[in-house]
Amino acid sequence: MRQPLVEMENVSKTFGATRALDNVSMTIWPGEVHVLLGENGAGKSTLMKILSGVYQPSDGVIRVNGQVVERLNPKTAQEAGIAIIHQELSIINEISIAENIFLGRLPGNRGLFDRKTLEKMSAELLARVGLDMDPAWPAGVLKISQKQLVEIAKALSVGARVIVMDEPTSSLTPEEVEVLFKIINDLRKEGVGIVYISHKLEEIMEIGDRVTVLKDGTLVGSRPMDEEVTPELLVQMMVGSDLSSKYDTEDHSAVEVKSDKPITVKVEGLTRADGRCKDVSFEVREGEIVGFFGLVGSGRTEAMRALVGADPVSKGTVYLKGEAARISNPQAALKNGMGLIPEDRRHEGFCHNFPIWKNLTLPVIAKASKAGGLWGLVNARKERQAAAKVVEQLNVRCASIEQPITQLSGGNQQKVVLGKWLETDLDIFIFDEPTRGIDVGVKASIYDIIKDLARDGKSILVVSSELPELLALCHRLMVFREGTIVAEFPISKATKENVLYAATARINNQGVGVQ
Amino acid sequence: MKKDLRYYWQRLGTLAIFVLLMIIMGIFSPQYFLSRNNIIQIFLQSSINVLIAIGVFFPILIAGIDLSVGSVLGLTGMVSALLMANGWDMWLALLVGGVLLGAFLGLLNGTLVVATKLHPFIITLGSNMIFRGLTLTISDARPVYNLPRQFSRTIAGYVGAIPVPVIIAISVAIIFAFVTKKTKLGRGIYALGGNEEAAWLSGINTKLLKVVVFVFSGLCAGMAGIVMTARMGAAEPLAGTGYESYAIASAIIGGTSFFGGIGNIFGVVVGALIIGLINNALNILNVQTYMQQIVMGLLIVGSVTLDRLLARGSKGE
Repeated sequence: MRQPLVEMENVSKTFGATRALDNVSMTIWPGEVHVLLGENGAGKSTLMKILSGVYQPSDGVIRVNGQVVERLNPKTAQEAGIAIIHQELSIINEISIAENIFLGRLPGNRGLFDRKTLEKMSAELLARVGLDMDPAWPAGVLKISQKQLVEIAKALSVGARVIVMDEPTSSLTPEEVEVLFKIINDLRKEGVGIVYISHKLEEIMEIGDRVTVLKDGTLVGSRPMDEEVTPELLVQMMVGSDLSSKYDTEDHSAVEVKSDKPITVKVEGLTRADGRCKDVSFEVREGEIVGFFGLVGSGRTEAMRALVGADPVSKGTVYLKGEAARISNPQAALKNGMGLIPEDRRHEGFCHNFPIWKNLTLPVIAKASKAGGLWGLVNARKERQAAAKVVEQLNVRCASIEQPITQLSGGNQQKVVLGKWLETDLDIFIFDEPTRGIDVGVKASIYDIIKDLARDGKSILVVSSELPELLALCHRLMVFREGTIVAEFPISKATKENVLYAATARINNQGVGVQ
Repeated sequence: MKKDLRYYWQRLGTLAIFVLLMIIMGIFSPQYFLSRNNIIQIFLQSSINVLIAIGVFFPILIAGIDLSVGSVLGLTGMVSALLMANGWDMWLALLVGGVLLGAFLGLLNGTLVVATKLHPFIITLGSNMIFRGLTLTISDARPVYNLPRQFSRTIAGYVGAIPVPVIIAISVAIIFAFVTKKTKLGRGIYALGGNEEAAWLSGINTKLLKVVVFVFSGLCAGMAGIVMTARMGAAEPLAGTGYESYAIASAIIGGTSFFGGIGNIFGVVVGALIIGLINNALNILNVQTYMQQIVMGLLIVGSVTLDRLLARGSKGE
């Protein structure tokens, strides 16, 4: 009887009070492509980090080739034949392909390395992954798809029996995907086990032998990819039939906003200079909360940044209250009553050298300054008053407004980043991942702030990868895929299934779930 | 809020070093070192460095640098001298050849930094050579004498017991301290230095402000060029060579962070005075000039190391 390469049995992992994985089992057989599927935060990466020895499981057993492995660490995992190819490739452009493959394990002795042996061994590995390149060349000349093949060669060079591929096709063209699949098929014939993580359902349908689905850290199921498996079934497994989850039972303040309300923002054919979003069109009414869903990299954040002029636009028109507006930088957006609350607090949200109050009043100062920011005085007393008001209104937990913002917790930093905009008299708020990385209590208060703003007649755009959040908050949902909006749902028609389906499936492009 | 060591270091550290040095020197040589004349002398000798340091503080505040200030000093000093030698009215020559030219050279630096998106180190490393080359070309590598008498008498003169260069340096310091503390422009520059992306998304015109900091830098170096020429009574084509390192050192000793967003004019001025004081002290103690360089170097490395250690202590990351 065949023996599984890796068995993970009833593996659990807790971080403090959070249970990231709960009793998950997964078996990887030789020669199979095992698809690991789940929404963002379902526990896929935690499970893979346990497999590769980055995390220690809190509970459960891992067997490699039938032997129980007690304490797996990255080194022993590699020795046991487990390799991970991350979405962000780890190829170093400046050194040769061969050196990349054998990095840290260069052949040779006494501190010198044997270039001939190195290149001969590399050439053999490159032949196995079907890459016809001179291993002496610098890796920088390779295309992304070729770098991926080098990563596979690297995995094979350490004798990997299990190769985990995390979203391997996210930046490949269809032709390159074909090449990758051919290599995967060859590896399958050689008896290598592949764990394949992807959101692209049609790919999964094509390449997968078995699928394991995770949801909220638990195992939904594991089954062979036979003819009964359809994209719809996969989405259903990912979302779960549990429709009474805590968000959905929350009181839906959100019915559709009446169509007699004036349109405040209308975007037509917005296209970025770098092409990361193309031909984006939508409109938002007064008092309306519109959600923008999409997988990471689908262009939602990029579209919002382009809308406020933070990144260059090559085409498209933005109408604010019916008039075409030229918004070439965030300052222009601000003066037109539009502001973006960015997704990455630390890098985009606040100035680490400022205390709370200076962070809170920055947009106010920017808006009130003349001549592009060259003219005007600050009034620290007034600023402090305004800041104290916002801190109280949002219940920011801090010692005083003089406290450096770096000393606050993530949730309170987010409140400050959000509060910055409350004093600027905006009509249009754009929230990008407003609740990422903050705890449940603060989340609820941020939802309340957003709903209050909408009730006051503001137009709200919310970008999020958390679907339940959008379903609970929004009047209308837009779905991004591959840089553009592919579907629109009034909230009454939106379900986790059809929204997720629109965001992942390339099949049936038009109007999923729309009448 | 918690007022830790870093809080006090940032605000008072430089001043403490200055006072400490004064006390030490006072013990060594009370009758000469602490004399009124010598103290005025320290300020006078520091005035050019104070001016350049105030300027270069701004690019450093946005985590950049301006290596061209020494050459801007040379070129502005030379051009204003040539204009005067060619019969221009003195004040007009100083305004055009000194102040405006300095600002314009800074404008060139800043525009190039924004347009090329290269690090200011590279741009100003290049422009430093270009400006010096221009100075040598237009002067034929010869000093320009025969300046109007009135020029040195005014700019390098005294008001009462106070030398005019000191008055100029103090006035410029006060103006720029006001700009940094009390204007929206100043707040914007600090925001840009702290987090460019956050400032940009908050509606600060970061691209414009990047140009402005280099204009400030050039402007101050231009004024320093005028003072330099006036004090020497002639424009030397190589005047100001290497002055950027003292100016940058002053800003750093004065508590300006190379990572941007932290520092203030007062600290920079004290930093420049510390350098002047040490030079003066080593002269009084009859230390060789070569040794003075070693002491200066140790001071820069030491003070920045201390600053880093304290920063690591309180950021908690």
